[in-house]
Amino acid sequence: MSVFVQYLVNGLTIGSFYALVALGYTMIYGIIRLINFAHGDLFMVGAFAGWLVVAAGAGMHLPVAMQLLLALLVAMVVVGLLAMGMERVAYQPLLKSSRLAILITALGVSLALENGAMIAFGAGFDTYPANILPLSGFHLFGAQVGYVQVAMFGLAILLMAGLYLFVQFTPVGTAMRALSFDQDAARLMGINVEGVVLITFLLGGSLAAASGVMMGLYYTQINFMMGFLMGLRAFTAAVLGGIGNIPGAMVGGLLIGVLQSLSAGYISSQWQDVIVFAVLILVLVFKPTGLFGERVVERM
Amino acid sequence: MAIRLGAWRPLVTRWGPLLVLALALIFPLGADSYWLTVGIGILTFAMLGLGLNLVVGYAGLLDLGYAAFYAIGAYTTALLSTVGHMTFWETLPFAVACSAIAGVIVGYPTLRLRSDYLAIVTLGFGEIVRITATNLGFTGGPNGIYAIPSPSIMGYQFFSQDSQYYLAVAFLLVVLFFTRQLAHSRLGRAWLSLREDESASEAVGVPSVRVKLWAYVFGAIFGGLAGAFFAARLTAISPDSFTYTQSINILMVVVLGGMASFPGVILGAAVVVGLPEVLRFMQLWRLFVFAIGLIALMLLRPQGIWPAASRKENPFGPGSERKLGPPLPLEALGRSRDSDGEEAALDVSGLRRRFGGVLAVDDVAFTVRPGEICSIIGPNGAGKTTVFNCITGVTRPDGGEVRLHGRALHGQTPHQVVGAGLSRTFQGIRLFKSMAVYENVLVGMYPHQKANVVDSLLHTGRQRREERDSLLRCQALLRFCGLEELAGHRASELSYGDQRRLEIARALAAQPKVLLLDEPAAGMNPSEKQALMGLVRRIRDLGVTVVLIDHDMNLVMGVSDHVVVLDRGRKIADGTPQEILADERVVAAYLGRDEDDEEVNAWPS
Amino acid sequence: MARRYSWILAAAGAMSLLVAGCGSATTSSSSSSSAPIKIGVPVPLSGSYASAGEDIVDGAKLAAAKINGSGGVLGRKIQIVPVDDACDAQTATQAAQNLVSQNVTAVAGGYCSSASLPELQVFHSQGDLPFVLDASTNPQLTELGYNDVFRTIGRDDEQGPFAANFIANFLHAKKVVVMDDNSTYAVGLQQDTVKALKTYGITATVQHLTPGQSDYTSVLTQINQLHPDVLYYTGYFTEMGLLLKQAHQLGYKFQMVGGDATNDPTVLSTAGSAANGFMLTTAPLAQFLGTAKSYVTEYTQKYGHAPGPYSVYEYDAVSVLAQAIKNADSTKASKINAAIGKIHDFKGLTGTFSFNKIGDRTPAVYITLRVVNGNFTAYKELNDAGQWVSVK
Repeated sequence: MSVFVQYLVNGLTIGSFYALVALGYTMIYGIIRLINFAHGDLFMVGAFAGWLVVAAGAGMHLPVAMQLLLALLVAMVVVGLLAMGMERVAYQPLLKSSRLAILITALGVSLALENGAMIAFGAGFDTYPANILPLSGFHLFGAQVGYVQVAMFGLAILLMAGLYLFVQFTPVGTAMRALSFDQDAARLMGINVEGVVLITFLLGGSLAAASGVMMGLYYTQINFMMGFLMGLRAFTAAVLGGIGNIPGAMVGGLLIGVLQSLSAGYISSQWQDVIVFAVLILVLVFKPTGLFGERVVERM
Repeated sequence: MAIRLGAWRPLVTRWGPLLVLALALIFPLGADSYWLTVGIGILTFAMLGLGLNLVVGYAGLLDLGYAAFYAIGAYTTALLSTVGHMTFWETLPFAVACSAIAGVIVGYPTLRLRSDYLAIVTLGFGEIVRITATNLGFTGGPNGIYAIPSPSIMGYQFFSQDSQYYLAVAFLLVVLFFTRQLAHSRLGRAWLSLREDESASEAVGVPSVRVKLWAYVFGAIFGGLAGAFFAARLTAISPDSFTYTQSINILMVVVLGGMASFPGVILGAAVVVGLPEVLRFMQLWRLFVFAIGLIALMLLRPQGIWPAASRKENPFGPGSERKLGPPLPLEALGRSRDSDGEEAALDVSGLRRRFGGVLAVDDVAFTVRPGEICSIIGPNGAGKTTVFNCITGVTRPDGGEVRLHGRALHGQTPHQVVGAGLSRTFQGIRLFKSMAVYENVLVGMYPHQKANVVDSLLHTGRQRREERDSLLRCQALLRFCGLEELAGHRASELSYGDQRRLEIARALAAQPKVLLLDEPAAGMNPSEKQALMGLVRRIRDLGVTVVLIDHDMNLVMGVSDHVVVLDRGRKIADGTPQEILADERVVAAYLGRDEDDEEVNAWPS
Repeated sequence: MARRYSWILAAAGAMSLLVAGCGSATTSSSSSSSAPIKIGVPVPLSGSYASAGEDIVDGAKLAAAKINGSGGVLGRKIQIVPVDDACDAQTATQAAQNLVSQNVTAVAGGYCSSASLPELQVFHSQGDLPFVLDASTNPQLTELGYNDVFRTIGRDDEQGPFAANFIANFLHAKKVVVMDDNSTYAVGLQQDTVKALKTYGITATVQHLTPGQSDYTSVLTQINQLHPDVLYYTGYFTEMGLLLKQAHQLGYKFQMVGGDATNDPTVLSTAGSAANGFMLTTAPLAQFLGTAKSYVTEYTQKYGHAPGPYSVYEYDAVSVLAQAIKNADSTKASKINAAIGKIHDFKGLTGTFSFNKIGDRTPAVYITLRVVNGNFTAYKELNDAGQWVSVK
């Protein structure tokens, strides 16, 4: 029992990082039907941006809480803007042509971000200060739970809830939902489609950046390739939940985290990805549009 | 258009290929072993690209795990030649068979998924194959398999770079030959139609799941073949060569080069493999610059560096008689109704369909006699198109029965319905837009063509005869609909009226007993409408029973033998045009809707 | 039919690209008696292993600078030619051929075995170019019967027994888990260690993890249930740091020991205080060799960080090649190969060594390190009598 709870707790922690990135995938897909393969790399850029801020903050002897908050905010803003620039330069001109063409530019952007980061930060690993966060925790049903884990999970849920409320209750959110239904109709209704798409990228990018900073703080290691695997995982999570569906992405992310944790724990770490993908394929065979159905920015 | 050839075209198209082949063959004379190796890399990726092109470029299925088939081919050859002591050539059939089987295994359960979901399934499959190869003992784990013998023919070892290069050229030519055969066949056209519009394709008689599965299987076969070559060439393989990144590279080859374009794919391979090599002098910046180049290329040429031809030569132009034989007379399109039997052409009874809380079709029943023109009319939202969809298997009815000349259609898929002799057109035109006009019609002939996959692969005598017959029939159909001159144009280039007529020609290509036309005159001006009604009568005269939907009472009354009126999902009248005009409920249904101007105006004044 | 043969044009385009390339390659291949002697360094410079590759190239460049500073070899300078093999077999063959076409005299480098193997075959088939491996510890590489392969680093099947001895006779462990990361290198070391542990009567439990995950808490929890005395991890430093940190967070107390690929400062910065007490087995690194003190200083000054695990072996690989070329008084491959074979008691930064018949370094020396107050410090080594003693 205690071991099971331990796996669950660990899975939920990593799952919440996945979920934040998966949200961006799903929102962008919901609106322009693009699988944004560069999204995982936004997460990576976020981690580096936060790392720079933390390092600078430590140099200026700011209090730790201040450093962390600043790192989170700066990373979110920088990466959000980067995502908007990316949309403008590499995607927007191709929105009317074949969807595969955008897919390839997305892969190009991904490659450019990875190698750009390698040039800028080197190929090695950089580390957030290892002892910036407390390692202590408490016991829950015999499982060790870190305070940081709880905080990370809480922050992720907070961000997701914020996004949910934004999409549901603000005019821009309503426009986003309208767009995901029918872009042409939305345009005819006077919605500034380009603007809304840009805001979607801004939001998706910021959430990915937040996840990047949180993951950097929690695991300390960051590297220019860290977005690659994260992108793959988050994409899987988004599809599992039903791509285009915001609650689906959240649940999908958490589920993938837990599934990985359980299969690494009870079977073997070397088979965990096989198990995750096998479960995904099975789910899709029986529920062809994912757990929560697709394109449901509108059905939330 | 990629390059404007102008007056040089005949020269280029005739001698260009030979020139390039000659260049490729003398290339080793001028190249050192490094560029030979790069050349072999390009040739390998061109093979992979051509295979994936069938899946992505033709069938329009996004595959992010294509390296899995590459891996399966490579591992099969590696294992059979090291453990099984087979020669390279003996392992080839097994490599091909294993990857084909893998294609079926991943394809069969998942091909009903929509494209983006399919993409992640293929991605997952690719990862599963790679991780499994890493974790298992007999595949050599992360070390992979060493000491794979090089191929040899009659004692000659393909060990030197030169000989391996020529072997790669030979393999590529084989792959090129067979993929082109497939592309120019019944199967190839069906793939393209699926890419363009899956539900329209199904509705004109293409069994989409089976056709997609073949795309998968052939893609897998050529991937496996490339893998076998790869293993024997490098004499050592490990799971690191078959990563997700590799699948992405192969996808880039196809999309960057130009989907469904053979020269494009080969060029794509040259760029994806060659460019990073050319950029080696940039050291650290190499892949960054490559990425920027990739984005720029895609932005400048969204259709690929060398897109597929946008317009085809008219196959029925001057001189076509020499190839095809004399054109068929239009009478040849006629069909005899003698074998149809005595029963009603179409007998619908108790049809019901509910969408959520709305009963869109409520207990509708009507009968269409053989050889008549029957119209179904009613205001917007009356359930006309839903009735069509239920009849043709697009929507599954909640209850009721549909019989075509006495044969029950219930529970059949759209392509089975077409096969049974019931064709349709769509309210919003759904042509295969980037295919040529004549190709659209040829896709419509799919249900009646007999060429199987082997015929398609080898272009057997039977297949060639059938293609010629189909083209002649296609020519006659296009002439019948007044489109023969436009046969080589892209469907999307046609005017609105021509597109409507092309859709009818495509539906007629399936040789239907009954033809359903969903608002064929929508959006036409009065004279076009009159011409269309003439066409409808001529179709009836061919021996085809016609059922059509329209708002326009003037139009319908002039042409119909029999009119069925629906309102709010129910049938409210059924009779001759005169009876309908006199029916009070019909008048009320139309005139009682002042919120819908079009309907009011549609009433004959 | 208009475009029937247009594909050929495309191929023409492809070819012209190649032909252009050939031209540039052939022009650069002229060599004269005063031109520098080129030494190729095939390593990953892109993708996940790029950092190791850069570290190796830096080591090679320092060696070349040192040699050139004292007049070069045969009156010629040494020039380092790095190429990216991306740890991928096909790219590796292309990279190796690229070096051949640049007329390199010899090769020193290699990182991933999956890339080293095809490279080795290219060099072997292209005139037996000497290839001195600096980081590939897979035993198979020197056992193919090629006479042009050497290595300056020990093999997995030498480190395995050393680690087993340390675990059994010094740590006195009863229950041992040996974990790899599914990479060629780590699986090899895992197998050799498990085999050697058997000779001490210890049946180790084998575990694997998938690298690159960030979260290893599940694997750790699973391992903890076995209540082991020691976890020996044969994979790389990235995961080691995370394993230490996460085990500490979970409150697990078993002793962790790493293989030589965990010998990297990243472990310390990742795990922070959780790294204290961690031990690892390694060939003696520059930092712990009296002979290499100046190397560490120089490297750190030049590149702004401490040398990674393999750069010093690359330094020795390049130095060995220079020595052999000098001894052979020739840049002919066959003569260099023979000269390397004859090198005896070479005084490298990693100690004094020679090569055996198949090209492996003898003797391979290992020591153990321990993290004290956030620093790697030399810990124990085997003396000639086979006893564990503190490193002097």
